[in-house]
Amino acid sequence: MALRDIKPTRSELISIKRKIKLSERGYNILKMKRDGLILEFFKVLEQAKDSRGEMLNKYQKAAEMIALANTVEGKIGVKAAAFSVKETPEIELRNKNIMGVVVPEIKSSQVKKSLVNRGYGLLGTSSVIDEAAESFEDLVDTIIEAAEIETALKRLLDEIESTKRRVNALEFKVIPELTEAGAFIKMRLDEMEREELFRLKKIKARTSAKARTST
Amino acid sequence: MEIAVIGNSEFIVGFRLAGIRKTYAADDDRKLVEQITNVLEDEGIGILVMNGSDMARIPQRLRITLENSIKPTVIAIGGEEGGLSIRERIKRSVGVDLWK
Repeated sequence: MALRDIKPTRSELISIKRKIKLSERGYNILKMKRDGLILEFFKVLEQAKDSRGEMLNKYQKAAEMIALANTVEGKIGVKAAAFSVKETPEIELRNKNIMGVVVPEIKSSQVKKSLVNRGYGLLGTSSVIDEAAESFEDLVDTIIEAAEIETALKRLLDEIESTKRRVNALEFKVIPELTEAGAFIKMRLDEMEREELFRLKKIKARTSAKARTST
Repeated sequence: MEIAVIGNSEFIVGFRLAGIRKTYAADDDRKLVEQITNVLEDEGIGILVMNGSDMARIPQRLRITLENSIKPTVIAIGGEEGGLSIRERIKRSVGVDLWK
């Protein structure tokens, strides 16, 4: 808002004062929201670090197990077992609310299966495949957990960024501009008042001079 | 909702063993991009699992889309890539490198 666009009127001054008050209130609330979000973010961050480390460990273990299964059973054997697995882990997405940020809550069903439910025959395969399957089921469980936490983290980060931008815009752009406009109007109003006073005095002097000459 | 896995045939066989049906083999770059686009269009997929080294191979634009994607959530395992992208975002949003 450029200064020349402002009409120096009393009603404008009142409305600007009102706007400043509103902006300051919004600024305070947003600042609190930002701080709250960062606190929440710290909590999730710790979890995310843990889950990522755990996931990497489990992945390494699972990779080892599958390599072992490949060596013992042969690639075809492992593939045959893999393609006969029937049960699919289903995940369910639900929403959770953290300070106005909607984060998913992921529930999974039956990732872990018992030996009999896996679908491939018990007799045709060796225990190595069972162990590989088990370690991968474990890994999938961890992945689901990590996915939930990482999505929450991403959403929180987005929200923190936009809140921070809003707080900064209010603090460094909106409020200073409004205060400047308010000061400008006040100055102009004072100036106009002085002009008016001066004009009145001038008129009074002139009329009194006229009255003196006529008498 | 289901989980999808994209990677080379060795990578996906283990997940197949864990019962995941939507495993897509992608052995070259072109196929990889094709499969990723297919998965992104699939409404029934909630989580996409990829190999960290594959994540580094795809075009940057697609990678950024994947990193910012929430549904499906993309998880890269085996490799630092997944952690690195989050690290960058934390640096940008909070201003301090907290991922250590």
